[in-house]
Amino acid sequence: MSETISDVKKYNFIIHEFFHGFSLHIGAAILTLFVFTEGFSKSFVSVAWMIPVFPIVAFLFILLFGHYDPRRGGSIALVGVGLSSVFSLSVAYEVLITNSLHGGFEESSRVWFSGQTYAFEFGTYIDSLGALLLLVVGLVSFLVIVFSTSYMHDEGDRQVRYFAEITLFVAVMLGLLIANSFLLMFIFWELVGVCSYLLIGFWYEKPSAASAAKKAFLVTRVGDVFLLLGLVILFNTFGTLRYSELFSDPTLLADHSDELKWATLCIFGGAVGKSAQFPLHFWLPDAMEGPTTVSALIHSSTMVKAGVFLVARSYPLIVHSPDTAIYIAVTGTVTAFVAASMAMVMNDIKRVLAYSTISQLGYMFLGLGTGAWTVWHATHEGVEVHAQGYMAGLFHLMNHAFFKALLFLGSGAVIHAVHTQDMREMGGLRKSMPITSTTMGLGVLSISGFPLLSGFWSKDEILEAVHHNGEYDSTFSLLWWMALLTAAMTAFYMTRMWFMTFSGPEERYVETMAQSKDHSDTGNWILRKDKIEVHAHEAPYVMTVPLMILGTLAVFSGLSLVLGDGFGARVYYGSHHGEGGMIQWGIINHILLSPLTHLSVAVGMSGMFLGVLFYRRGPDGKSAFSADFVSENAITKPFHTFLINRLYMSKFFNWFGMRTWDTFARACDWFDLNVIDGVVNGVANLSQVFSHRVRKINSGFTGHYASLTVGGLGAIVLLTRIIMPFMGWSL
Amino acid sequence: MIDPINYLIFSSVLLMIGAYGVIKNKNAIVVLMSVEIMLTAANINFIGFSSYYHDLSGQVVALFVTAIAAAEVAIGLAILLSLFEQRDTIELDLLNRLRW
Repeated sequence: MSETISDVKKYNFIIHEFFHGFSLHIGAAILTLFVFTEGFSKSFVSVAWMIPVFPIVAFLFILLFGHYDPRRGGSIALVGVGLSSVFSLSVAYEVLITNSLHGGFEESSRVWFSGQTYAFEFGTYIDSLGALLLLVVGLVSFLVIVFSTSYMHDEGDRQVRYFAEITLFVAVMLGLLIANSFLLMFIFWELVGVCSYLLIGFWYEKPSAASAAKKAFLVTRVGDVFLLLGLVILFNTFGTLRYSELFSDPTLLADHSDELKWATLCIFGGAVGKSAQFPLHFWLPDAMEGPTTVSALIHSSTMVKAGVFLVARSYPLIVHSPDTAIYIAVTGTVTAFVAASMAMVMNDIKRVLAYSTISQLGYMFLGLGTGAWTVWHATHEGVEVHAQGYMAGLFHLMNHAFFKALLFLGSGAVIHAVHTQDMREMGGLRKSMPITSTTMGLGVLSISGFPLLSGFWSKDEILEAVHHNGEYDSTFSLLWWMALLTAAMTAFYMTRMWFMTFSGPEERYVETMAQSKDHSDTGNWILRKDKIEVHAHEAPYVMTVPLMILGTLAVFSGLSLVLGDGFGARVYYGSHHGEGGMIQWGIINHILLSPLTHLSVAVGMSGMFLGVLFYRRGPDGKSAFSADFVSENAITKPFHTFLINRLYMSKFFNWFGMRTWDTFARACDWFDLNVIDGVVNGVANLSQVFSHRVRKINSGFTGHYASLTVGGLGAIVLLTRIIMPFMGWSL
Repeated sequence: MIDPINYLIFSSVLLMIGAYGVIKNKNAIVVLMSVEIMLTAANINFIGFSSYYHDLSGQVVALFVTAIAAAEVAIGLAILLSLFEQRDTIELDLLNRLRW
């Protein structure tokens, strides 16, 4: 007996050791796999299929064995996602740094099943676009999971579910990036939707979280229907959905520009749903109901970037349809503008960031749409062109992933420390959370477009591309103005967020009316000052180290534009003539000396300056100007109310839904109850009444049966022998 | 030679009498006897046409019918006996439980 117990102890000890010494194991596993893969392939691109396999295996392991893990599945998630990150980064290194594909692509495919006319193939398709996204997703998802192991610590056994879901989420997103056909990508696309549903509704016992999850799922579903429609059009037109076959023949594509117009519009519809663009944007702020780490993952790399990726992936199709290109650009700009305006009035720190994400995604779509239009226009004129908008949009995607993950994880650390999401209840956290406040400050500067930080380069590239197109089409001039204004608003609301959270005194006094001590005798009230103390403390290293890494990236990732061959020499569409050398001085000169840059920097800085004026709280807890007059002034109050109610969009959709679909549903219900049920019940009633009458024949008297038999015989004889011959009938 | 119409008329009348007895009588034994009359009517047809066509198979069938009728009566009387033991009556008007 004693032997068994010691055995169990030993067993537990082994498991314990295994999971606690996991860092060693990660290292060993990575090394082994590295040697292994190096041995049989010499190239990570050719084993890209392994990237999503690791997290999927980890997902299964967490489901089965997560409860044995002292981190409740966190270690397994770290190993699985860590390995796939290593592979993703290696692929990105090969493609983007060593330029192993030379601007082309590498595809590998297997037949899964085949019918008479169509074989469903699955495989990988890696080009510079996919490699860029792999870099972003691989890096950010691993950092988010490291962060989660600490952030989700209080959740106990529910962490198993969390880690299982988030690992699957990462897996399907990576699968989406390396899929080699639209169909396979659509499968992963839907899986991403399911995982986001599960994660947003992680605290499903909260009604708001449950309804937010439903909302996210249903709203993105609207886009998914469009996407499927677009794929059907593509398949009907070209008979294939594989990227390599679809994109191989530009003249064939150009001949079918009408079909392509509708197909790309529908595909962009899918992107609108997934990336929360204007008419379908309202699910994203509600998706904040999930854990903050999930928001960071969704917003920075995983879910919403899928839409941008989709548009960039279908670029060879979009460039044949100028209408789609302009529609994408306009949608992006409107979204960027509207979302930025709403971000200026939100008080929930995560909602500010959510609207900021929507706005920045709008920026990316603006860049992509602009680039597509440029390519179409140049092809029309018969010249080759480098689609600056394409490069700028994807460049912004990468930079945004880093600084938005940083901002979200930072806000997660803040929420973890102060246990509230309302920025009005924060303030004065700068002293107690130095690392978080500094890194988030870098993120804020970066997204606001502070010169030489990453957001500055990409935003400027997008603005320049749009302005350049304005010479040919005045629509783009308008878009440029709106985008410029959006840049100012971005700087303003980001500054506002940072100062509301971190500036001001650590201790604040709130004046309240209270009953005095002798209230029962005199009925006097006194003005009491309540002290609000900040009990926040800096987050543990597991949480701050990812912040520091992301902070570094947020500052320096923009430099990839000008270092080495430059970002544009790897991720481009059309033709690219880059200069050699370590640093692209031409681009630096071009950007730094351009009056457009000076204008956008001036606009951004003025937005930041306004934010500082209104929201920087001094040691006395007061800002230089009070922001209250905006919400109370007669002129601006309607705007403020309009924005703080989020343009009444949700309300409008509710009202619209009640008016249209609800009425329709009621009509269906009436029809079902009265007509369909009426027929069924009527038939049943009729036969019941009839049989009630007829069963009286079964009297139970033998004589009745006998007489019926004889009478029946007589009737048959009468019929066959007398009536039928008389009428001339025959049997 | 007797005209077959006479057999037919006779057997029809006998069948009607039997049927009337089955329908009208309340006593189960009398009903059984009426059934025997109906079978006899059928037998008369068999035998009559057998002699008309000089073919003996009709008479063979009549013998079979008689034998089977005897067996049937044996079973019927046995049923009536057990019925009488259980219900103390063989009045058919009182035995009408198998109805709607």
